[in-house]
Amino acid sequence: MQSTIKRAIWVAVAAVGALSAQQAPPAELHVLPVQGNIYMLVGAGGNITLQIGKQGVLMVDTGLAANAAAVYAEVKKLTNLPIRYIINTHVHPDHVGGNEGLAKLIPPNRAQPLSIIANENVLNRMIKPRPDGTTQQFGLPTDEYYLPFKALNYNGEAVIIYHELNAHTDGDSVILFRGSDVVSTGDIFTPDAYPFIDVAQGGSVEGELKALTHILELTVPAKTEEGGTLVIPGHGRLCEETDVAEFRDMMAIVRDRIQDGIKKKKTLAQIKADKPTLDYDTEYYRQGAFVTPDMFVEAVYKSLTGGK
Amino acid sequence: MKIFKQIGIAGLLVLTSVPGYSEIDFTGSWTPLFHEDYPERFPGPELGDYMGIPVNAAGRLRGDSYDADRISMVSQYECRPHGSDYNMRGSANLRISRDLDPVTQAPVAFHTFIGFQSAQRTIWLDGRPHPPEYADHSWAGFSTGVWDGNMLNITTTHLKEYYIRRNGVPRSDQAVVTEHWTRHGNYLTVIVVINDPVFLTEPLVRSENWIYDPGQEILPSNCEPAPEVPNPPGVITPHHLPGTNPFLHEVADWYGIPYDAVRGGAETMRPEYRKVMGKPEHVPEKCERYCDCGKDAGACNLH
Amino acid sequence: MRRILFAILIVGAVPALTFAQGGRGGGRGGPPPQGKAGAPVDLSGYWVSPIFEDYRWRMFTPLKGDAASVPINDAARKIVDAWDPAKDEAAGEQCKAYGAAGIMRVPGRLHITWQDDNTLKIETDAGTQTRLFHFTGQAPKEGEPSWQGYSAAKWEVTALPGGPAGVGLGMLPRQGTKSRTLDVVTTQLRPGYLRKNGVPYGANTTLTEYYDHWSEPSGQEWFTVTTVVTDPEYLAIPFVTTTDFKKEPDGSKFNPRPCTAR
Repeated sequence: MQSTIKRAIWVAVAAVGALSAQQAPPAELHVLPVQGNIYMLVGAGGNITLQIGKQGVLMVDTGLAANAAAVYAEVKKLTNLPIRYIINTHVHPDHVGGNEGLAKLIPPNRAQPLSIIANENVLNRMIKPRPDGTTQQFGLPTDEYYLPFKALNYNGEAVIIYHELNAHTDGDSVILFRGSDVVSTGDIFTPDAYPFIDVAQGGSVEGELKALTHILELTVPAKTEEGGTLVIPGHGRLCEETDVAEFRDMMAIVRDRIQDGIKKKKTLAQIKADKPTLDYDTEYYRQGAFVTPDMFVEAVYKSLTGGK
Repeated sequence: MKIFKQIGIAGLLVLTSVPGYSEIDFTGSWTPLFHEDYPERFPGPELGDYMGIPVNAAGRLRGDSYDADRISMVSQYECRPHGSDYNMRGSANLRISRDLDPVTQAPVAFHTFIGFQSAQRTIWLDGRPHPPEYADHSWAGFSTGVWDGNMLNITTTHLKEYYIRRNGVPRSDQAVVTEHWTRHGNYLTVIVVINDPVFLTEPLVRSENWIYDPGQEILPSNCEPAPEVPNPPGVITPHHLPGTNPFLHEVADWYGIPYDAVRGGAETMRPEYRKVMGKPEHVPEKCERYCDCGKDAGACNLH
Repeated sequence: MRRILFAILIVGAVPALTFAQGGRGGGRGGPPPQGKAGAPVDLSGYWVSPIFEDYRWRMFTPLKGDAASVPINDAARKIVDAWDPAKDEAAGEQCKAYGAAGIMRVPGRLHITWQDDNTLKIETDAGTQTRLFHFTGQAPKEGEPSWQGYSAAKWEVTALPGGPAGVGLGMLPRQGTKSRTLDVVTTQLRPGYLRKNGVPYGANTTLTEYYDHWSEPSGQEWFTVTTVVTDPEYLAIPFVTTTDFKKEPDGSKFNPRPCTAR
């Protein structure tokens, strides 16, 4: 039974990676300077955050496995300094897939050895055997944390890594670059698509809402709700505080509608038929996207009803 | 020989100084004229009024769900400026300034400043490209302008999500807004076309007039968000559940209008709609709301 | 030095004289062509005004007494409060709301053609009205007031007449802006209504309009008419509106129908 569940989980994870690979453009990477020490690298799978300074490079996420070499090449265009840190926001292949390839490409450095940081739940999932029985050897987190947050100072600024409980998954991290005033959110926040609430891997709608509210506590706009803290989402364009607020409010409203249906003893099929996402579908769903409106509704329903 | 050389040099200089057609100068301070839709643009639209908007079902439901308490309870909405497309509806007075290239004196950009929430925008005239699709969005968006005779045609992308109307009918962050500005004496006419594939079935075209008003002072506004109203337990953002908004029939009853017309949609905006529209449920004997709005060029009061 | 300056003056005068004689935009040579020959844009065809703005005042006959947004004065307020469509019908004045000062706001379609080289004709299906824009000059002094009045039209020229002659070295005559606007001034109007519910305009009204043609990136053609109604009798200040018309491929939807007072 347990191995069946494990196999199902790996199949789901592989599906996420495969679908993300289908959606991501084939290694056409773009780098956008954000602010301070921060750049955003798009096109490798999930968005990658690069912090580049006098000490070296810190990466948040590494994209898909297939794009690791291209990602490494893009970093080398920006600097010859070593990649010192990789922080993984969560365990999905479009965010950790490049770990292994990069770990092999990055030359060994005794003075600045590569450190891969993630919440311990990410490590716990990554070391599980794959469906073919093999296990990942390279690119595993080497510096996992289990407390509510972990902090370091790199390239002249504080980098604070927050564990967001049971949001997108059970291993989510949100990273605040305090000096550059940038937040990397992983897939907790995806402004151009419905969120994938991975209930099977510990995600929940309440956790998502709490995580998004926490991100709003970290962000401070410069003036009239604009500028100031910039937000790099897991997928999609560079954002700011009000973009996170719109996304959070969408999720809260859809949750409320589904909750209302549950109170009225409606089945999942009946709730889906009510189309609780009708006014958001044209904004957050495009044909072929991974998370369909029905998937989103189902995930919210399951996390409100305890997965029953 | 020497004189011919001189004539030749002078001639060359003249021939290379090509006289161009000059553009219209929009610079100065402007006051909006509220001779159209005054009640909607200034006091504010009635709840559920989607008349004149080619809105789709998604936009309609957003409007039906909207609760204006959101602005009080979600601090991120408290100090929002309007989107640059909405600002041209005349939310506040306008100042336009201009950058000129120091060498050629060609206009490089217009800058607009709207007093409400100190909204600022740059309209680039130097042919620069728009940012990539993954770049940040802003309230003003990214605007570029091209002259066609006496009309400036402006294209704006990279707008943050905002409203088409302040009763909750949204305009998405995927919209492309085109504007056409022209000036006739002391009147500035601005035509705003919103192409929004998310909430509109066809482009929305609205045009407003401003009058040159050089004597005014347009001050910056200082807004700091502060939590003032506590959220009820469990409420993150206030809204009406589908089918529960009790206010949607008000505007039809107050003004004697068929309810279907109030719901908006492209088909309700053609002249032939008058042949097929239904009857209003209730028709007051006479005007009871905003009847004297704008009288003697004055304010717009409810009674 | 004197020879150099003399040479510059000679050279500068040549293009100054050239520009004065040719092209639009001013100079000393004469006014630019008007009428059909001088049209910088093509306004001919069938046009519809989708009602995006002032919807409840245009798509419906507003409630009695509703003058919102119109800067009326006390004298007009009395007329608005006394509006009685039955009286207008009895007096044969069903077309009061279809006069030139209000007709462009009535939901309907236009058919624009050149009646001759100096007269642009606008026919409306709403109220079957015809407006004639004369490019030949001012109104006759003793004209009979009518619903559509007398419209004097010209293609707008923004350069000052008789602008400074060039003196060479980059100081050539200013050409002004290449305007694409049609300016129309209408007088000799019969008193009518700005809106169907009796918001009045008087006999001394001057109507000034600016027609601006534009296109969407898709190629769809539009024009916008900015209308300035100046009425010392019933308006506190000029009443300024803009109405947008979208070009249609043909006249299949042009639907002539008579005026109605209600």
